[in-house]
Amino acid sequence: MRLMTGLLAGILGALALTAPAVADPGPGPHVNADLVADHSGIAPGQTIHIALRQQIQPHWHTYWKNPGDSGEPPRLAWTLPAGFTTGDIVWPTPGKIPVGPLMNYGYEGQVLLPIPLTAPASAAPGAKAHLAAKVEILVCAEICVPETKEVALDLPVTAAPAPADPTWGPKIAQAIAAAPAAAPLTAAFQAKGATGVALAIAGAPLKGADAAGAYFYPASATAIDHAKPQAIERGPDGLTLTLAPGYDFQGGRAPATLAGVLAIGGKAYEVAAGPGPAPPGTSGLGPPAAKAANGGGADLGLLTAAVFAFVGGLILNLMPCVFPILAMKAASLAAHGGAEHRAEARAQGLAFGAGAVVTFVGLAGLLIALKAAGSAVGWGFQLQSPPVVAVLALLMLAVALDLSGVFEVGASLQGAGSGLASRGGLAGSFFTGLLAVVVAAPCTAPFMGSALGWALTQPAAAALVVFAALGLGFAAPFVAVAFVPGLLARLPRPGAWMDLFRKALAFPMYGAALWLVWVFAQQTGPEELAKLFAAGVIVALAAWLAGLAQKRMALGRRAVGLGAAAAIAAVVALAAVVWPKPAAAELTAEPYSPARLAELQAQGRPVFVNYTAAWCVSCQVNDRVAISTSTVRSAFARHKVAYLKADWTKHDAAIAAELASHGRAGVPLYLVYGKGGGDGVILPSILTPDIVVKAVEAADR
Amino acid sequence: MIARRTLLAAAVATLAAGPALALPQLGQPAPAFTATDDHGKPVTLSQFAGRTVVLEWTNSGCPYVGKHYNSGTMQALQRKETADGVVWLTVSSSAPGMQGYFTAPTARKWAAKKHWAGTDLLLDSAGKIGREYGARNTPHMFVIDKAGKVAYMGGIDDRPYEDPESLKGAKPYVAMALADLKAGRPVAVPTSQPYGCSVKYNSAD
Repeated sequence: MRLMTGLLAGILGALALTAPAVADPGPGPHVNADLVADHSGIAPGQTIHIALRQQIQPHWHTYWKNPGDSGEPPRLAWTLPAGFTTGDIVWPTPGKIPVGPLMNYGYEGQVLLPIPLTAPASAAPGAKAHLAAKVEILVCAEICVPETKEVALDLPVTAAPAPADPTWGPKIAQAIAAAPAAAPLTAAFQAKGATGVALAIAGAPLKGADAAGAYFYPASATAIDHAKPQAIERGPDGLTLTLAPGYDFQGGRAPATLAGVLAIGGKAYEVAAGPGPAPPGTSGLGPPAAKAANGGGADLGLLTAAVFAFVGGLILNLMPCVFPILAMKAASLAAHGGAEHRAEARAQGLAFGAGAVVTFVGLAGLLIALKAAGSAVGWGFQLQSPPVVAVLALLMLAVALDLSGVFEVGASLQGAGSGLASRGGLAGSFFTGLLAVVVAAPCTAPFMGSALGWALTQPAAAALVVFAALGLGFAAPFVAVAFVPGLLARLPRPGAWMDLFRKALAFPMYGAALWLVWVFAQQTGPEELAKLFAAGVIVALAAWLAGLAQKRMALGRRAVGLGAAAAIAAVVALAAVVWPKPAAAELTAEPYSPARLAELQAQGRPVFVNYTAAWCVSCQVNDRVAISTSTVRSAFARHKVAYLKADWTKHDAAIAAELASHGRAGVPLYLVYGKGGGDGVILPSILTPDIVVKAVEAADR
Repeated sequence: MIARRTLLAAAVATLAAGPALALPQLGQPAPAFTATDDHGKPVTLSQFAGRTVVLEWTNSGCPYVGKHYNSGTMQALQRKETADGVVWLTVSSSAPGMQGYFTAPTARKWAAKKHWAGTDLLLDSAGKIGREYGARNTPHMFVIDKAGKVAYMGGIDDRPYEDPESLKGAKPYVAMALADLKAGRPVAVPTSQPYGCSVKYNSAD
């Protein structure tokens, strides 16, 4: 424990040292500015866009219209020919630029600030319009330097609208297209005491949007505390961000509007919220799966991600979900204490490490493969599947029974052959490493979300490096104990106390098994729970039979019958929990085809289209918990909903194209078409009966 | 299960955000502090109980601080208010090695050169007072009334610009708040946008 703390402190200290030293401003200018235009000329009465181009020195930044905690946006004072006018700057979505404990909003690198320019109807074709501006730009790294520029552009006045500028036309158009857009969003905010402001935003553009990394940039510098994290809660029609209140909320006051920009899933929208209750559909689905922040967030490099993964692996050792497994490992290490067993302890430590790393890499490989196959899985997915949880619960039970001395895993391996005698323990250590990882994996989700999310968006090789680093970090403390003679020597010598210790350690394992059963109960129903309990009893029986067989073999007798009975009992137990239950409330679905959809729409019927696949875990979960329920079945009957199923279990190019046209790379995808025709409404990927019922009710209106 | 994960995630998010700044609350007692001034003398907020106190965050290298000191408007306000019995504490929270870091001698030198006219110049290079007050800018201004409660927080005026030209016609929020307190009126504009450079806290802690 002390070793762990020391290691962690060392690593964190090393990270802190990489903080930038005091900046020498160096020679200016730190930003170059000029004017560019999207057309090669301007016609009388025409409005085009010009743009202030800023080329900012690396590591320096300039500011958005709300600079955040410090700084100020660029200011332009125009000198224009008579009758020419400029409009407001079209501010591109900024990035977040943290400065110590403060937060700034701004730009780095090259940025275009588009500005509308209108020529008067009286402008004389053939003349040159001289557009000039004095620009004051505050440019900052750690310190700030105000820079003043004189910029100018001579634009020919043309009789007819001029062609687009080949260089700047597309770039300015792109900047305008990427800028926050007005959108059909409904938004409201509510102050919750002095600690939080809930900003709830709903609207069609937010349906099915990837809310991970969503961020609200307030237009006013006094609305919120910029540096505080913004907690995200998703809903079927939008999201709720919990913001830290700024000066506007001081002394029990609240602003009349909370306006700004919502950046979400690579897009940005203008938001203006008034005080009031949250629009419906803006909460209830929990926070988004963690992933690398987008929109100005620094990209994690592979090395950084690997280092963080290693640290994360170390921290995992402190997680309650792996503690019982480590308790087991501690017992095994204690068995190899003492100087005479040093070589064996090293081998054990390495086997445990290998087990942990191989399992992490294996799980990562499985995850990458599943993602490639189109399944919407996240890290920790293995515990989303009730059969896996059930199997793990039984496994924990078996381990606990082993610790209690009902049967002996090591002994049976030794009995299997003399050649395995020395390696039996190694296999056990490897297996312990494997088990620890499988149970610890869900604990990694909150801690390692950023690194793992990043890893899963990378090429497979990079992802595997990160996961291997996680495994190494996880295994490091035990491997270190096995290798550092001083530490090993401090471990108590083996003796009769070990048997007592081992039996005591069985109880955390019984606890772990019960915890998993509790998880299983949340995911399934009473019938399944009864089955799992029955399976548990059968496992205990199998363990007892195996123990009996082992005792006979130890006495030199044959125990084939008992062994076989134990094996059969184990298989029965597993089959009981993994066997799929008959789908009682199965809805009858027609196979999907675009022609059938059009036909049903022509009949004026609402249509529910389920894009699914047999191998898609979340599709199956949705099917059981939401679609194939009596509530949904009766809602479908009431609203005469036609149910179409697009089965993607086998590759189908037509369905893949349909998915792509809705911006999806895989299943599940649920679409509800209204009886009045039109485009389908996309439902969330995690369904509840309520969501489906509400959607079909809306479709029948 | 879900609740526990959410809690964990929230805890991690909070940790990841690093040392966040707390906000003092308007109308609530101002956070107490003890600091060392530019003569090595300890100064506590409580020793000024019963008097109106102004807190001004400064950074000698910040162009926004320069706007108010080079034009003399800051010193003029300091002279006027201290003559009226107001306590004016200028605080430097720049960390060692950062812009505007003050040792006692460099602080005294700067004060003499600028004809600084406040009551005391506090050295807070650890950023302790700055963090307690949520000071984010130089100059960031706070006014504490005679009852020891926070009466104003924000900018010195309504012109969040570095350009000295912007001083013309600015609404002097701090002077207005002090006038309201002297007249026994509630402060009409109790908060505004603090503006200027970021306070140069030690970013590593």
